[in-house]
Amino acid sequence: MPQVTIDGTTHEFEPGAKLLQLCLDAGTEIPHFCYHPAMSVPANCRQCLVKAGTPIFDRETKEPVLDENGEQKINFGPKLQPSCSLDVTDGMVVHTQLSSQEVAAAQADNLELLLINHPLDCPICDQAGQCPLQIQAYKYGPEGSRFEFAKVHKPKRVQLGPNVVMDAERCINCTRCTRFTAEITETHQLTIINRGDKNHPMTAPGEVFDDAYSMCTTDICPVGALTEDYFRFQARVWEMAKTPTISDFGSAGINVDVWTKNNEVLRITPRQNLDANEYWMPDAARLIYETYNEGRASGPTLNGTPTTWEAAAREAGRMVQEAGSDVLFLGSAYATVEDNYLLMRLAEAVGAPAPQFVDRRGSQADDGFLVSDDPAPNTEGCLRLGMKPVDPALLPSAAASARLVYILQDDPVQAEVLRVEDLEGTPVVLHGTHVTHRTPATVSLPLAMSVETLGTYVNRDGRAQLLRPAKMVKAMNRSLLMAVGTGQSRNDRVGTPFDRWHDEANQVDCLPGWATIPQVAAALGVDLTFKSPAKIMAEVSAQPAFAGATHGAMDLLGVPLETEDADVPQITA
Amino acid sequence: MADADTLLTGQSKAGDWRSFERVILPPVRDLHKIDVYEAEADGYKALKDVVRDGKFDPKGLTDEVKASGLRGRGGAGFSTGLKWSFMPPVDPDKPRYLCCNGDESEPGTFKDRQIFEYNPHLMIEGIMLAGYAMTIKTCYLYIRGEYDDYIQHVQRAVNEAYDRGYIGKNILGTDFSMDLVVHAGAGAYICGEETSLMNSLEGRRAYPRIKPPFPAQVGVFGMPTTINNVETLADVPLVVNRGADWFAGIGPEKHPGPVLYGISGHVNRPGVYEYPTGMLISDLLEVAGGARGGKRIKAVVPGGSSTPPLTWAMAEPTTMDAETLREAGSSMGTGGLCFLDEDTDMVSFTRRIAHFYHHESCGQCTPCREGTGWLEKCLARIDEGNGHTRDLDLLLEVCDQMEGRTVCALADAAAWPVRWGIKRFRDEFEAKCRPTAFASGALGGDGATEQTGELTPTGVPTT
Repeated sequence: MPQVTIDGTTHEFEPGAKLLQLCLDAGTEIPHFCYHPAMSVPANCRQCLVKAGTPIFDRETKEPVLDENGEQKINFGPKLQPSCSLDVTDGMVVHTQLSSQEVAAAQADNLELLLINHPLDCPICDQAGQCPLQIQAYKYGPEGSRFEFAKVHKPKRVQLGPNVVMDAERCINCTRCTRFTAEITETHQLTIINRGDKNHPMTAPGEVFDDAYSMCTTDICPVGALTEDYFRFQARVWEMAKTPTISDFGSAGINVDVWTKNNEVLRITPRQNLDANEYWMPDAARLIYETYNEGRASGPTLNGTPTTWEAAAREAGRMVQEAGSDVLFLGSAYATVEDNYLLMRLAEAVGAPAPQFVDRRGSQADDGFLVSDDPAPNTEGCLRLGMKPVDPALLPSAAASARLVYILQDDPVQAEVLRVEDLEGTPVVLHGTHVTHRTPATVSLPLAMSVETLGTYVNRDGRAQLLRPAKMVKAMNRSLLMAVGTGQSRNDRVGTPFDRWHDEANQVDCLPGWATIPQVAAALGVDLTFKSPAKIMAEVSAQPAFAGATHGAMDLLGVPLETEDADVPQITA
Repeated sequence: MADADTLLTGQSKAGDWRSFERVILPPVRDLHKIDVYEAEADGYKALKDVVRDGKFDPKGLTDEVKASGLRGRGGAGFSTGLKWSFMPPVDPDKPRYLCCNGDESEPGTFKDRQIFEYNPHLMIEGIMLAGYAMTIKTCYLYIRGEYDDYIQHVQRAVNEAYDRGYIGKNILGTDFSMDLVVHAGAGAYICGEETSLMNSLEGRRAYPRIKPPFPAQVGVFGMPTTINNVETLADVPLVVNRGADWFAGIGPEKHPGPVLYGISGHVNRPGVYEYPTGMLISDLLEVAGGARGGKRIKAVVPGGSSTPPLTWAMAEPTTMDAETLREAGSSMGTGGLCFLDEDTDMVSFTRRIAHFYHHESCGQCTPCREGTGWLEKCLARIDEGNGHTRDLDLLLEVCDQMEGRTVCALADAAAWPVRWGIKRFRDEFEAKCRPTAFASGALGGDGATEQTGELTPTGVPTT
């Protein structure tokens, strides 16, 4: 395999590699702004300059030319080169800022230039704290600036579209946003207008930046020029905790970071997973952040009256026992594999028919990218557990004839597979998440949402991915949850740098299914206690359909499960 | 070349230039009309000889142009025949393109417009010959957008040539077909950069592209493309008609041929003059009627605003060809000379050029986008009498930060006049700066303090 020497260390590389990506992969950071691995390489920020040379060969003998020390002579060009667009060749010798004063000085020069017309309003900029320009200016930039003139003024607070606001003065014209609309979503909604130091991205006159993925431009913007409208001035980055987890928006299994403060989800951003969502997520998947904070069902109730968890679980257990095998169990494509599995075990223990779930596939349009025709995140997980979709034609009679309906998370009335009248006279045990739940409940045991639990979703491609709790629920301290979930304490790799573990505000009084279902089972005298969801998954992964999907193996990027359909290409982790 | 060590001999290399007979812009009335061009200037004879009568095959024509020593007239001065030979072998599945670059917009450069106006058919004939040499079926003639009159004028000439069968299908009854599309430029200096021109043609924003890949591999619409200047292509029929030896015999050996000198500035008769390459700059001053008002010439910009200015002492022994000008410390550029007399304020002049590049930087690359503005603002401060001598060193450092670090050469073009203006006319720049008063009560602009005369680390006075 061909080799390249970077700062004196030899690396092997695949032919066709570009130098910057190779350095990043090899752990050598080179400052850069315009380069993004998913898009074309314009080499316009000029930040990633390196000194690169190729070995000199004798024209006639084709032998390498050696210097007086017997070392191969290297031909360094007269100019420093942007590493992002530089093809790596065999024998190339590269000096980055780590081994070349010239390169370090050139990078500092470039940062000085980048900053001369940049407003330096970091104290009021939403990007501060996670800003590539800020970080790299501190790391590689000059001590100060020699620029003593008025900065260029450009439009500020421009509402480019419903979700994105632009501050053109902060823009460094890396063109990541325009390339995103040109190459990723192909809507071509943004372009650079004007010339020279007055240029900035803009829509065509009268046009609106209403791309369904428009907020991805705010993720890739290396400065605070493009910000998410919903998140502007909501919180400083360092005040929030950032938790890597999986979105419950649809079946694509979008890997996200959930940003929380005071136990409220303030922001959701995509997390890189090349086997799932790559670097992107639709705007709609971010704007659901409020559903985690507002209208939450909090505290167990019995016939609408608040009660204790113990009393509610006891009552639910009594009702199940009374109904015997005549219970209609409904699982959910919104609930985790773990919770659905426990529900199946409960149904099995009382001898009731296996739980079914409401299949939502086909209920919305597929956009061919990250919005599929299935709004539920775990349909594939339910199917792999062996659960069958409910038949809307048979469900009303089944509900009417059952002596108890036991619902995990889903809302069959909302899904229009059941009417309230169908449940007339049939008691309902409900693990719901919101007060807006339309299926009436006799006993309500509020359920933690995906951002508050540990568990597994299987996406449409059969990729099992791990949910992590981003916020605390009242009944169970998150640190405890983490400890029981992964056997690790807080300052570990699942912790986040800005955690606020002491936050007491805004806790919802709810419990994950894997905590409440065993409570109900215990009231029946059935032992479904697991030490943690990880142990449940360890048991589930013994099934062939879930082979290998342990929490440890899923980690941050998930595990591809065996698929029977040979047409679906196997993705390797 | 008498002295092997220097090309700056003070001797003209243009031979008997006083009796030079104009060939690119011959003194023929109404030459832009195709009848006149055919009747009085051997019009389309070269095309007939080559395409119909087989005077050269494509490779032969390329070799002939190579042998003539013709070098690009657009600024870079690259061998035209060599450039043509970079085109990959013909692939029937891949279209290939010729672009004729008529986006002439550099201050001090106004030669191509003379061809558009007075002899467009010579250029069209050259385009057709170049297309034949490279087996190209489509040429885009990209004319500067502001040249609206010339665009229409050239379009009329192209239409005439289509009507006579010199362009289009089966030219002159042969199986060689080629179309010529006149395209109005997008109104920016940067559109004349060859890769920007390709982006502009494709309907994109005229940002220069990174090279490699070079246009001969991946050009317009991703296909092999050659880009030549208007004057370069206008030379091709002359090479065919009169022979490579004739062409190579005009002017200095390494940079031969007739060339259009665009002379501007403080001279009595500014204008476009056709003479051999290798003219002494002082002879060109004479040609243009000498300095206005009998003044002394102080500086010469030899090849358009981006080329470094020369002092008169440097310019006087210099001839107009690439090698000599390089030795003199500038470059041939487009052959657009600007003479500046002794009354010229070099600071204001440099500031004006910096303004142009600030205005015309496309904004793609950081050093150019930000640096051009910085240069102009700093020069404006000096020009207005508020600058400090340390600003001059800062300007030179900003030039260092710009040169050679961008996708295209606009940053270099912006930095050179500033760098060499300061280096060659530093006295004038310093005279305009605020005096640094170390000893007196006033604080100097260099951040020297009254008490110690020392600089603070930031250059700001400590008091």
